[in-house]
Amino acid sequence: MKWKLAVCVGLAVVLQSSLRALWPPLAYADLPLVVVVYFALQRDAVMAVMIGTVAGIGSDLLSGGLLGAGGFSMTLTAYLLAALVTRVMIDNALIRIPVIAGASAFETVVYFFMHQLLGQPPVDPMAGTIAETFAFKIIWTTVVGTTVAFLLDMLFNESPGLRRRRHFAFRRRIARRGLTRRKY
Amino acid sequence: MVRSTQKEIRQRAPIWLIVLLALNFGLMTWQAKDTGGQPVIKAWAQSAFSPVQRATTGVGGAGIGFFRSFADMRNAVVENETLKKRLADAENELREARQSRDENERLKRLLDFTKDVSFKSIPARVIGRDPSVWFNSLIINRGTTSGIDLDMPVVTPEGIVGRVVGVGPVSAQVMLLTDERSAAGAVVGQLGQSNAIGSVRGYGKNGLLEMRYVSGLETVNVGDYVVTTGQDRIYPPGLNVGTVIEVKPGTINTPQTIYVRPGARLESLQEVAVLDYRPPQRTAPERTLPNVDKGKTK
Repeated sequence: MKWKLAVCVGLAVVLQSSLRALWPPLAYADLPLVVVVYFALQRDAVMAVMIGTVAGIGSDLLSGGLLGAGGFSMTLTAYLLAALVTRVMIDNALIRIPVIAGASAFETVVYFFMHQLLGQPPVDPMAGTIAETFAFKIIWTTVVGTTVAFLLDMLFNESPGLRRRRHFAFRRRIARRGLTRRKY
Repeated sequence: MVRSTQKEIRQRAPIWLIVLLALNFGLMTWQAKDTGGQPVIKAWAQSAFSPVQRATTGVGGAGIGFFRSFADMRNAVVENETLKKRLADAENELREARQSRDENERLKRLLDFTKDVSFKSIPARVIGRDPSVWFNSLIINRGTTSGIDLDMPVVTPEGIVGRVVGVGPVSAQVMLLTDERSAAGAVVGQLGQSNAIGSVRGYGKNGLLEMRYVSGLETVNVGDYVVTTGQDRIYPPGLNVGTVIEVKPGTINTPQTIYVRPGARLESLQEVAVLDYRPPQRTAPERTLPNVDKGKTK
């Protein structure tokens, strides 16, 4: 499980850089963010923030932007999603679409804001203007992210039924606080 | 394997969140404050990732080529008709082009000869692009082991590309000339014969360059060539920068603003050359100017 997770994060970061060299518009699809969103929906907030930081810093290392800006925005996005998924059932194949779009919008705004805050605003938006780049990024990330989430479901043996059962079990556990540790 | 209860996760998650956000914020402020080039950690990470990037770029290129061949077949019939018409036009142009080609080959041989004599070039392949859509830099497959150093100019036969801003053992990061943070000394027209001297920098839109500080008294026309002057001490003099596509005229007191299309096709770069260019040492009078080393004299 853990090695699969590490491979997913690593591959997403490397592909993000390599795919742009093959066909520039693919850069709009934020693969590391998709992986972060996918794992944030697994209801483990600690794991989510850690993956957010690793994926974000990994992207920053290959980018011309500020080191840590991606890490900051992805960590925050992961935490908010993980907190939300414990309250509302958003881990559903159809609801995932607006969730990925929302996460992409939020992450982009935070990333952009952090650069502005530290006096290094993004200087070369890919689509020409900031608004267009912002829009393209959300659309591409949502479309590609929905597909990638299905692939990740297959990789991690997740099915809609299993997810639903786990969600209801989780709600029952939350209702009866003070459960003992789960053993796997 | 024992997994934490949800209660434990809920208690620990905000602590982890604060710690990790603080770590990221610390990294950001450290890099934002540090203006001395790329952090070492970035250079090493790029070197570590470069073999994987090289492999994925290679595999991806083969895959895309395979699928593209199917798509191309569908368009082949329409293209065939169009191409027949264009062939007739092209034959006329070919005659003129042959004359230009012969002239070009002579000039190219001359240029190659000059390059060989003055400084060596290191060929490199583009193995990655900036993963963020907000910046545009390249990652090339040559590093310190191939003799690459910071601030070396990166060029193609069509024109200058940018400069090296980060270097690891086997890879380097190149800041493109179209980046707003990048600039080069340039002149419109022939070096040594034109007074339309200024500096080009990234315009931030449509991959264009903006040339500033050219006197309003100089005549600049759309289609004129822009070449480097070497005054920035990064790019050697005489290299092609691009072509003038728009001129906003100035006056006696105000300079012109000139928009330049880069000669190098920056969006589809595959191979580049890094020039091992050492700018000439400053002369003694330059070194002793009153505003040089002001801090030391105090």
